[in-house]
Amino acid sequence: MGRYVIRRLLQAVLTLSVVLFMLHYLMSLAIQINGNPVRTFFGDKPVSDELLQATMEKFNLDDPCLKSVGDPCWGMFTDRMQQWSHFDFGTDFQSVKIGDSIANAIPVTLTIFAITTVVWALFGVTAGVLAAMNRGRFIDYLVRIGTTFTLAIPGFLMLILVQNIFGVIIGNWFREQFGRESFLSLIFQPTYSAKAPFLSLVIPGIALGVFGIAGITRLSRTSMLENLRSDFVRTAKAKGLKRTRVTIVHTLRNSLIPVVTVIGFALGDALGGSVVLEGLYNIPGLGLLAFNGVKTNDTAVVIAVVALASVVFMVTNLIVDLFYAVLDPRIRYE
Amino acid sequence: MADVKFQSEILPELDPSAPLLDVRDLQVEFRTRDGIAKAVNGANFTVNRGETLAIVGESGSGKSVTSQAIMGILETPPAKIAGGEVLFHGVDLLTLSKERKRRVRANHVAMVFQDALSALNPVYTVGFQLAELFRKHRGMSKAEAKKKSLELLDLVKIPAAAQRINEYPHQFSGGMRQRVMIAMALALDPDLLIADEPTTALDVTVQAQIMRLLAEIQAERQMGLILITHDLGVVADVADKISVMYAGRIVEQAPVLDLFGKPAHPYTKALLRSIPRLDTKGQKLEVIEGLPPVLTNIPPGCAFAARCHYAQDVCRTDIPLLETVAADRAAACHFSAEVINGE
Repeated sequence: MGRYVIRRLLQAVLTLSVVLFMLHYLMSLAIQINGNPVRTFFGDKPVSDELLQATMEKFNLDDPCLKSVGDPCWGMFTDRMQQWSHFDFGTDFQSVKIGDSIANAIPVTLTIFAITTVVWALFGVTAGVLAAMNRGRFIDYLVRIGTTFTLAIPGFLMLILVQNIFGVIIGNWFREQFGRESFLSLIFQPTYSAKAPFLSLVIPGIALGVFGIAGITRLSRTSMLENLRSDFVRTAKAKGLKRTRVTIVHTLRNSLIPVVTVIGFALGDALGGSVVLEGLYNIPGLGLLAFNGVKTNDTAVVIAVVALASVVFMVTNLIVDLFYAVLDPRIRYE
Repeated sequence: MADVKFQSEILPELDPSAPLLDVRDLQVEFRTRDGIAKAVNGANFTVNRGETLAIVGESGSGKSVTSQAIMGILETPPAKIAGGEVLFHGVDLLTLSKERKRRVRANHVAMVFQDALSALNPVYTVGFQLAELFRKHRGMSKAEAKKKSLELLDLVKIPAAAQRINEYPHQFSGGMRQRVMIAMALALDPDLLIADEPTTALDVTVQAQIMRLLAEIQAERQMGLILITHDLGVVADVADKISVMYAGRIVEQAPVLDLFGKPAHPYTKALLRSIPRLDTKGQKLEVIEGLPPVLTNIPPGCAFAARCHYAQDVCRTDIPLLETVAADRAAACHFSAEVINGE
């Protein structure tokens, strides 16, 4: 197991290097094609070459390679990596330290992801299991129609609907009935609120969870159905075990193996979804940071946030693989 | 044969003087897309304590379905028990409540399945799978249950049981896995053991060992044993009597020697002839021409008529009943007298 973890970590480092370079290259290419983002600071006003040059220098965007399209800008890449190795991620266009912005954003985004994962594991898996146990009956159809419904609605539209229905309509009613500071009013909010950092994230977190829940529910259902037909479940019945034990101990555990794998991948999708979600709810998380970075062409911010996101993705999948080995003894590595 | 166990807590109404298992006119149907498939069409047999009954038939003849119906583990739906009785010491297992049926399993009637690799749960140790029987049915502590599980592994002759108890099914060889399966079935000291093709997935040498183990334990515990197989050769040594099934019906019932010596049903005769023999090297293997009938559309009359050399017009219209043809033996054929005399 130990050797497996080390091997996986080395693989992750390699992957990360490739990701970092690709990011750097794409962002450089964007500047090479669109022109230096520093120019936008001055709008339509004429600006002297000296001032422009000084501003570019300030934001490390003065390298001449940014003028020739296709140049990989190796110098800039190695400079940035050197800077990063001292945990210095530079400053954004507002001269705020990127390291500080990220440190503030991480707990917010992790809270959302924690809520999302709980929604998947609790509601997604439970719905799938119930559907499988009641195959062909009302609950099964309800779950299947429900998952198709969440798949059919585009994510951004669903988020807007959730925001309006739960945050505005229901939320306003709660605020009228119980006052602005009541528990329910703080949960049902149309945007992020710094006064209730956790409570105001609950609904957006659930919304993001619903966004990816269909795959998990469907997979849990199929996986349960497959195992319910299996020989070892028949053996468990033949052993005179109670139905609940047959279901939970002898079917669910085996069925969770593929589900856990998918949760790892789904969190990657959720990283993308969080950009939209955080933009919509104005949540000061990593998604919003990346969103604003892209909007202003702030290369340093985008690269730092996306690099972090890929680290998160790789670590999540490493954890998933280890958990996989815990669930299934046939895949104990080494 | 009134031993202590026969004040059963689970089945207080049972009658110790009645046969251990008496299956009467059992009928099982499956709802399928092509209509109703009649998997078992009136199976009749009895098993007494200390007796071994072999149920022989080809795939789809209803032998596995019969055994699962006795165990009460058929999926209903699609399966449906359309009629008949399964009397365990006079108590009809089919009419018990779900909870009582569950408790009869493993305590009174236990089952060994064909492919032990898929029949054991891959994610738990064999120790866990054995111990849960003692923990859930007998309320034993983990330590007690483990001790009992070890005794069982020793009973089925698994070497180094103390270490192997913590291993997973995939770490065992085929024969050892089947021993684990047998240990599991024997855990709660059942009165009747049903072994559904217990050796089919095994090497020939291992097959013999497993059959011997089953026979030994059965003799020692005076259990009733039902051996389900498609291989007449496997059961010849261990069975006391044989029931031959075809298209969901018992077509012949006889003590093992009588059946091998003088079959009374053309199907049995054909089956015996199709066993490959060492002394007829170089000749073509005997086969039974044709296929068994489709279970959704069993023709009227005798189901074997289309493949039978003895068949006359009467066979295509009238279903032959299982009738006594000699002492202790019965056959369902209009011409069993001719068949038994080898004409």
